[in-house]
Amino acid sequence: MKDHKILFTGAVCAGKTTAIRSLSDIETLDTDAKASDVTVRRKKNTTIAMDYGVLELAQDSRVHLYGTPGQERFSFMWEMLANQFAHDAIGLVLLVDNTRKDPFRDVRFYVKEFGEYIRKRRLIIAVTHSDIEPNPGYNDYLACIRELGLMATVMFVDVRNPKTVLSIVEELISAVELEINWAEVGERILDHNGFSLDFYKPIYEETLLDAAMNKRGILGAMHLGAEQEVLSSNIDEQQSVALLKSMHKLSSAIAQKSELVGEVSNIVVGGPAVRTLSMFSDDDQALCLCSERDVSLPVLKQQASDLLQWSRENDYLA
Amino acid sequence: MIELLDKVDKPNVIENSCLLQGKEVLASSFTPDKKNHETIAKQAFNYVFLNVARMNAKHNEAHLEIGDKRLSGFILKPELVLVCMSDKACNIALVRDHVAEVKKLFLQEQVNRMLA
Repeated sequence: MKDHKILFTGAVCAGKTTAIRSLSDIETLDTDAKASDVTVRRKKNTTIAMDYGVLELAQDSRVHLYGTPGQERFSFMWEMLANQFAHDAIGLVLLVDNTRKDPFRDVRFYVKEFGEYIRKRRLIIAVTHSDIEPNPGYNDYLACIRELGLMATVMFVDVRNPKTVLSIVEELISAVELEINWAEVGERILDHNGFSLDFYKPIYEETLLDAAMNKRGILGAMHLGAEQEVLSSNIDEQQSVALLKSMHKLSSAIAQKSELVGEVSNIVVGGPAVRTLSMFSDDDQALCLCSERDVSLPVLKQQASDLLQWSRENDYLA
Repeated sequence: MIELLDKVDKPNVIENSCLLQGKEVLASSFTPDKKNHETIAKQAFNYVFLNVARMNAKHNEAHLEIGDKRLSGFILKPELVLVCMSDKACNIALVRDHVAEVKKLFLQEQVNRMLA
């Protein structure tokens, strides 16, 4: 029996679990738990450890499919999957959600995180959700990977459709498995698994502020536009609102003068007996959070980054 | 003051530091190639703590991530701010703990000076 392995990674909601479910001949192992953070903005459950499935290609050949959790706080599992379970995988599939505000940020992030892993095997960038948001397009992704100096294949896929996900597997495996009847495999898994309805479930149920409030320790949130205008807010205390606005104003002022040192990504003020106020800027918008003092900055940063990735431009999805 | 800054800078935690009194830099360990960061820190923390005071808020520390660096400002006593520059990836708790130690030394030194 020839055993091949493929590792799927990507941000929360990129479609890793769905892709593996679409392909697998066995009941997939998934480690979903109720989402307790910004993920609830997109779905009720999220993978916390790994996804696993098996696809039979022929009587003597099969592919083991591994999926990482999307959230960075479970990145210890990324390491475990890359170094142990899938250390001998034939390729890495990076699923990129095209509805994210800046999908290329995800590409850059995962390419950096899996840099060593990618150097030793093939990389497929599989773009999902392009039925909802067609841009950026194929050529934009090619330009992105060229800029990053990567050798990668870009594919636009609908992970609900087993046949299109199979095309990723075919792209990776066909070079080493010449005898596989891919059309037959495609028909079989389509019969067996059908089209996944995962993305047709009612999603995007929560607003940006609701999602922020779902995080432990967050007491209030405010969404600001480019001109410091309040797009939405549930912070009642005027003192905090004024301070946060002044922080955003400061960030904009520095942005105009600080070409030599880089962009301001966040400003945080705190103290021993006060709530922490933080402002995370992102091009034309900012997310301001009021939180308990014990919430760590790295956690706040990741939550804010995720929230801003699904922000203004995608709010039509809400 | 410069002796205090010698104690503030710590490998892998705080790369450079300076002491601000209002808009004036009392002492600094910022190297010439990092003077832009010092200038931004001076203006930014002056603005932030001025607003904090204006709002009667009690915040006494501020952190600003810019490029690949983090600038942290800590109020040591009214009108006196200690600025520390760290790598963005450096754990902020390490910076806080180290500054808390330095603050103790600083206050002790002030008391000694008064008693002398």
